[in-house]
Amino acid sequence: MYLDGALSNEEERNLLFEIKKSPELLEKYKMEKSFREFLRSKVNRRSVSPTLIKSIKDKIRIAPN
Amino acid sequence: MPQIDALYNFAYHLTYNEADADDLVQDTYMKAYRFIEKYDIGTNAKAWLFKILKNAFINQYRKKSKQPTKVDYEEIVSYHDEEDTNYSSYLDLREEIFQGMMGDEVTNAINMLPMDFRTVILLCDIEGFTYEEISKIIDIPLGTVRSRLYRARNLLKEKLKDYAKSMGYEDKRGS
Repeated sequence: MYLDGALSNEEERNLLFEIKKSPELLEKYKMEKSFREFLRSKVNRRSVSPTLIKSIKDKIRIAPN
Repeated sequence: MPQIDALYNFAYHLTYNEADADDLVQDTYMKAYRFIEKYDIGTNAKAWLFKILKNAFINQYRKKSKQPTKVDYEEIVSYHDEEDTNYSSYLDLREEIFQGMMGDEVTNAINMLPMDFRTVILLCDIEGFTYEEISKIIDIPLGTVRSRLYRARNLLKEKLKDYAKSMGYEDKRGS
């Protein structure tokens, strides 16, 4: 939840305090952080074709208000 | 056009098909234009567009999709019940084999997840939405977002680990 930004400030402080005290917890935190960064960096991202963008703009232009 | 790349990628992960993803994105922008007065100024426009897209997908594609539309929770729950309750998949992604993974392997692993698990992974881990935003986009309670993410991430780690094993990487967990 910390990596998802779902903790309150106080909860974050408490968690970081616990992580600093525990090498095992620190290791788990690092692996989970690594996993999230891995997903974000590796997943294929496709680019939208200019044709699609033009098609949408053309349809909006002629759509009734 | 705002957020079109992110929307397109989400649409593609839902439909597995460029033509269908194109149609879905086009439909989304047309609906957003038509119902623009329903957008609350100051709220997250990206989340609003994603919600439109998700609803459009549900309306158009679940009817014709042969894939299961719901997570088979009994299967997933029994899968987890077999494991240690404190278990979280050991997957050291600092290992070279994972860094060498191409985007296709990771994308394929995500696409192999059941629909509901795939959706939360895409919305949270790829697009960076908060739990509250995800809850509104796919219309499920906050607690369900958290539990679904937990299960989805564990399942994804298992799929990636299986792939790594097939490539000759050894499981480092102690016996």
